[in-house]
Amino acid sequence: MALRPVRATLALLLLSIALPANAAIRVVATFPDLADMTRQIGGERVDVVTIAEGNQDPHKVPVKPSFVTKLNRADAVVVMGLGLEHAFLPPLLEVARNAKIAPGETGYIDASLYVTPLEVPTSQNRTQGELHPLGNPHFNLDPVQGKLMARAIAEGLERVDPDGAQTYQSGLARYTALLDAKIAEWAKLAAPLRGVKAVSYHPDLIYLADRYGIELIGTIETKPGVPATPAHLEELIDEMKQHKTQLVVREVAYELPLAQTVAERTGARVVTISTLTGGLPDTNTYIEFVEANLKALVGALSTAGSP
Amino acid sequence: MDRHRIARVGLAAGLATCACFAPGLRAHAADPSDVNALQQQLAVTQDELAKTKSELQETKDTLNALKQRVEALAAAAPSAATSSLAPGTTARLAPVNADNPAISFVVDTTARSNTHGDGGEPLEGGNGFALRSGELFISAPIDPFLRGYATINGNTTQGFDIEEAAVVTTALPWNLTVKAGRYFADVGRLSHWHDEALPFVDRPPSIDRLIGGESRAEGVEVSWLAPTEQFIQITGGIYNSIGEQAGTVLNNTFGVGSYSELTYLVHPTTYFDLTDTFNVEVGGTYFAVPKDNDRHLYGVDVTFRHQPGTSGFYQGTTLGIEWMWNNQRFANQTPQFNTTGAPLLTDPALPFDAITNPQVFGSRFNTRQGGYAYFESFFGRRFSAGLRVDYSEAPADNVNTSLLYIAPLSPNADQILTYSMFVTWMPSEFHRLRLQLDQIVARGEPDDQRITLQWTAFLGSHSHGFTTR
Repeated sequence: MALRPVRATLALLLLSIALPANAAIRVVATFPDLADMTRQIGGERVDVVTIAEGNQDPHKVPVKPSFVTKLNRADAVVVMGLGLEHAFLPPLLEVARNAKIAPGETGYIDASLYVTPLEVPTSQNRTQGELHPLGNPHFNLDPVQGKLMARAIAEGLERVDPDGAQTYQSGLARYTALLDAKIAEWAKLAAPLRGVKAVSYHPDLIYLADRYGIELIGTIETKPGVPATPAHLEELIDEMKQHKTQLVVREVAYELPLAQTVAERTGARVVTISTLTGGLPDTNTYIEFVEANLKALVGALSTAGSP
Repeated sequence: MDRHRIARVGLAAGLATCACFAPGLRAHAADPSDVNALQQQLAVTQDELAKTKSELQETKDTLNALKQRVEALAAAAPSAATSSLAPGTTARLAPVNADNPAISFVVDTTARSNTHGDGGEPLEGGNGFALRSGELFISAPIDPFLRGYATINGNTTQGFDIEEAAVVTTALPWNLTVKAGRYFADVGRLSHWHDEALPFVDRPPSIDRLIGGESRAEGVEVSWLAPTEQFIQITGGIYNSIGEQAGTVLNNTFGVGSYSELTYLVHPTTYFDLTDTFNVEVGGTYFAVPKDNDRHLYGVDVTFRHQPGTSGFYQGTTLGIEWMWNNQRFANQTPQFNTTGAPLLTDPALPFDAITNPQVFGSRFNTRQGGYAYFESFFGRRFSAGLRVDYSEAPADNVNTSLLYIAPLSPNADQILTYSMFVTWMPSEFHRLRLQLDQIVARGEPDDQRITLQWTAFLGSHSHGFTTR
């Protein structure tokens, strides 16, 4: 009788060691966008878990020991790349004891591989805030970049699991066709955004703004990663008034009150978007995430006041 | 080309004019030679038009081919920026020079005032300014099998010293890593954190008294991660000694004579996600010196974290508790007497002399305990605040409120309580200001009050990794 708890614990341990029956490979995706794309492409051949939540600031993702065990047993890790995971992935990989998913190894799948980075800093200097040396890593907000992400993921999965090449190639073709159809639809949906002037909390809109013609005036942050100072806010507000800025884009991971204050002072309207899949309600897939952002931005325009 | 086009257009216009007036011409002058001339001109013009059409089609075809090529390049091929990636590249990585390690330097400075106004060493609780820590941190992969790091630290009271210099394996099988050199042994939770990584301006006094400051050790440590979904990590180590004060004052085991004089450590840790946002980490520590001073230290540490990861003003809370029990025999503590009750002298045949023939003192077994509990809550992106209570038992006859000094032993341990509150403001990720108020209660009586302002800045990329998460 006394042995029952011991047996149960042993059984649980054995179960936790056992592989999921249908999964060919274990994949850890750092962000929900990557997890969704990996599932869309890999289907039943992949068992995917995610590290960060969609509503989290990528710079403040908690470094939990439960992530270590997931990485320890993973066949592949899918990362956004361009340094977006710098705050949490290196310390986790350092203790994960899994050489095959180390950066540069076969199991390290970098979704930024085919993306042309924007805002690549010309000099590395902390007076300019927390810069990403390889360029702005928020390319996932632009669905056309999403196609390139999917391609890098599919190729990475094929590299890790060559037997599943056909699955990944057909999965990529299917998903790309789906994205293409949506991209055409979104181009019409986002047409009113062309020429709209906006500020964001963090400099993470550049790819989205380039795609749909939004004109970015500045950020609430003083510099990337450096919280706003009163002097900076005064300058920003002056500039917003001068440019007749219509939108204050507040990313869901950042505080709302400051964005509201800036909007009130300038007559602009606050619109909440997410920089990651799952950050807004009912956005469990990458496609839902992109659509929710665009609808929020366009929706905000219809009620935006004039400065 | 343009000139030809203008000529053709002019010709066409001329012909059109001719065509308009042709019926009139025919009516008034139907000269066959004129008709022939006009017909020839028309034929020439038709040829010219056909040629132009053909050229236009050719240009269109070329443009279409070019357009298709551009679209194909944009949609399918890597962009210009990525085309320089080497074949087979799996990741876009920051360029690094393999010969240059990551280097950083921490400036950790304090200003302190206390009610005693005793003017002692600022690091130990006196008034004044202090460089609490100037820390140079260097780390780099060594080869595919090993990484290395070193911490060189200096402060107000001591010159630069090699705090850590260690190598760690990276490619051992069975989830093992081996660490060797000088480093902070894996004792409890906060005793192996560097000063600047602590959530307070000082190390909890109980750790200073029972471990002897940071758990600095020279030896070898093996760590194993269980290959399960549940996080279970077990560390075992063998060292000359653990803790600076323990090594120099209590253990006195530098240069041990036998294996039983070494310090042996085991430290299992596990972790549970209670909910998506609540988690708890539990660790146990046991280290022992079997011979010599027969030391046994038992410790338990529990850390609760609430990490909502949401965008509200409240960003989360950490609650940390650590408790230690230290059993240790100390030499030369109990005065010895002979059968007649007279002091037992080193040489009983000679008369007492404090220097040449002192009284014999026997060893004494001492048990002390201590620990701390603290919580820290995080607000917005800039602020955190918390409270800490620390309890430790110290020798009664030489209570030193500096809390860093391990006083000579006496039979009766005393109790010291320290209540602290601290507020931290981070203007950026690499820059921090912290204010801490301490109330010290020694032997049940309020003893000292201190206020400390700490200013810490990080030059370069500074991270002690997973340990100080």
